[in-house]
Amino acid sequence: MIHNLLSCQAVGRALSASKSSLVHSSRASLWKQSAAASFARRGYAEVFKRDKPHMNIGTIGHVDHGKTTLTAAITKVLADAGGAKFTDYSQIDRAPEEKARGITINSSHVEYETSTRHYGHIDCPGHADYIKNMITGAAQMDGAIIVVSATDGQMPQTREHLLLARQVGIKRLVVFINKVDQISDPEMLELVDMEIRDLLSTYSFDGENTPIVMGSALAALEARDPEIGKNKILELVQACDDWLELPARDLEKPFLLAIEDVFSISGRGTVATGRVERGVALKGAEVEIIGLGSTLKTTVTGIEMFHKELDRAEAGDNMGCLLRGVRREQLRRGQVIVAPGSIKAVKKVLAQIYVLTKDEGGRYHPFTSNYRPQMFLRTADITVALTFPPDADGKIDEERMVMPGDNVEMVAELVHDVAAEIGSRFTLREGGKTIGTGIITKIIENA
Amino acid sequence: MFSLPRTFCRRSLPSSSSSSSSSTTTTTLTHASSSLRLYSTPKAGSSTIKLVAELRKRTEVSITKAKEALTASNNDIDAALDWLQKDLVASGAKKALKLEGRATKQGVVAVAMLSNGTSASASLPSGKAVGGGVRAAMIELNCETDFVARNSLFARLAADIAHTAAFLGDDVRSDSFFRPWTLDTLYEAPLISAPEGPGALPGMGSPDVTVRSSIQDALVKLGEKIQLRRATAVVENSLMAKQPDLNLRMTAYMHGAEGNPTQGRIGALALLALKSPRLKQLLPEESFQKELGKLERSLARQIVGMETRSVKDEAGGETALYNQPFIMYPGELGQSTVRDALTKWSENQGLMPEDEDDTGGVEVLQFARWTVGEGLEEEAQAQAEQV
Repeated sequence: MIHNLLSCQAVGRALSASKSSLVHSSRASLWKQSAAASFARRGYAEVFKRDKPHMNIGTIGHVDHGKTTLTAAITKVLADAGGAKFTDYSQIDRAPEEKARGITINSSHVEYETSTRHYGHIDCPGHADYIKNMITGAAQMDGAIIVVSATDGQMPQTREHLLLARQVGIKRLVVFINKVDQISDPEMLELVDMEIRDLLSTYSFDGENTPIVMGSALAALEARDPEIGKNKILELVQACDDWLELPARDLEKPFLLAIEDVFSISGRGTVATGRVERGVALKGAEVEIIGLGSTLKTTVTGIEMFHKELDRAEAGDNMGCLLRGVRREQLRRGQVIVAPGSIKAVKKVLAQIYVLTKDEGGRYHPFTSNYRPQMFLRTADITVALTFPPDADGKIDEERMVMPGDNVEMVAELVHDVAAEIGSRFTLREGGKTIGTGIITKIIENA
Repeated sequence: MFSLPRTFCRRSLPSSSSSSSSSTTTTTLTHASSSLRLYSTPKAGSSTIKLVAELRKRTEVSITKAKEALTASNNDIDAALDWLQKDLVASGAKKALKLEGRATKQGVVAVAMLSNGTSASASLPSGKAVGGGVRAAMIELNCETDFVARNSLFARLAADIAHTAAFLGDDVRSDSFFRPWTLDTLYEAPLISAPEGPGALPGMGSPDVTVRSSIQDALVKLGEKIQLRRATAVVENSLMAKQPDLNLRMTAYMHGAEGNPTQGRIGALALLALKSPRLKQLLPEESFQKELGKLERSLARQIVGMETRSVKDEAGGETALYNQPFIMYPGELGQSTVRDALTKWSENQGLMPEDEDDTGGVEVLQFARWTVGEGLEEEAQAQAEQV
């Protein structure tokens, strides 16, 4: 019965589905790549094995310091160990007009495996491009490799590279000092090491303990001088495994289900339906219902999927959830059912927002402070007032404007409270079209 | 081979102690005493490294170049600085050649406003404004990535070039108020640095420092192709003296760089004219100046915010400023078109003459609106209008 109800809600689910597809698109594109590659060979897609934890990683560095060479070298070295498919330089630099110059503009995904992890790897093209990708969920970095050439040392813009990593919430980095074969004086390498540790500390990274690996990506790629080539790549990858922290997996997170619809089923009680965003719920679990003005405590007395009773629901499941002692009027689409205490409802947040351009289907005109679009967060649809945060001197420029195409940090004040946390993504819509997309960076006020 | 002992270089930094390198523990122990000694009797190589670090702190040149400079000048830091200065021409040109052919799609539009049409009067109490000449310039400086475009070194360079373009702009009669700089001329002009802060004087470096050489300097340090794409200047000093009822005004808005109002991704520089028999009385009034400032800022934002290509267009398209709804003007006037809003504003502010034979009001004469990386052929048109 619940199943029938569920299937009627395809439209309603499209919203949360599109959000989650954004979040997971980096993984999805990996799927596509490996699928496409093996299709020609074998006629069917290889099965993506989920036996290793996945992590998204990126390379950031100056255009000439060898980011792409390093990426190619990693796939080559790991391919020898059976953990990757060798992706050469020209394949990584996919954008045709960029190939000739060897500079990457569009980020392209590469994947490889170590003994303990599966990595999705991107080349970070530029600040604005990456921020946009991050906000929309098109590309994601949970950790990064900063590439610095030993011949130049860190450059003035290395500061900007670290600032980007900071801004997007990366807490740990690994540094690769490239082209060491071009420097004969080991003390010079010491200096490069020392300078970068100093700079890392300046930007609140752990300068003291951050692994710095010195080698030559080109040597690894050309399979020569293993002591600075292959071995150093292995050392780098090992450093990533050891130092970069895995993001929590959806299943390990506390239970959360966004309510899509609510039904009253005679003889049984009130049922809320929706997709489990994360975590696991067992029949009989204590839960909280949060958002849109209420905080209720209740118990899950039944879980149903495909007309069948289940004892357990987990991330990704579309389920109906029978709740004890709750009237239908107490539940609304937009609320969430969560593990008690795991998330709070918010009224006012700071968010990083990307405003779609006209060509992307967004607004034609700029907007100013106190613009009020609709915020779609999970299944909730709430009017929100956007204002500017004060600058370093505590002043707010009331005349400031935001143009289509801008990445901008704004204060979002919600008309109704909704369950959200740092990292929650949302879209902004106005008059039936999406005008922006954003990610919450700070909670200013809880409900 | 590369896990050599971190000698006194590392000790000079409080933040760096033990590292992840496995050999460090032993080497630190064995070299603890010798590294102490290094301060008093430095080994030749080590002192070079210290100087390399020092030179890099001062100049931000690459590590190889710093070493080269010190080797060439017997580890004398002042001599090395001189050597770097001299080497700049050669290495800058060489580096520029190497980067030739790369695309420069990123960068900034920068504006320098030396005089916006207001000047303090000698005859009136200090702080009171009267009409004056206008002098301003806008430039576009390109680089390869926005990491560099966001760097302070690059921002400083763009500010200095814009300042130079405004400072050296000529007041020559022509049919357009906006006079584009010939890039070759501007490249060879001596760099006149923008003042470091309010009240500071513009800096004139040695005559050897030209716009070209300062670009090459940045190019060597940042390792990216840097290119001056376009520059335009507006200079008009004489009109006010001839027509006392007329005041030319300049306004600018740069969008997209947080915390730096003179640079951005999209920028507009616009020339306005105020005309009224009462102008002499109105200009010194504080309330009038306040309203004028609000209007000017709104107009500049409007030009940037909307896809504005011309001032007027009788066909009625929204790419013409006067036909646009004045969305950037706060309050009631923002509901009408720019054309109507300007008329109403002039009436409200008392610019309109009582005598019907006289003319008065505020007009946008001409503007330039630039977006970083846009095709030059698409360069925003500036439409001249006879006063």
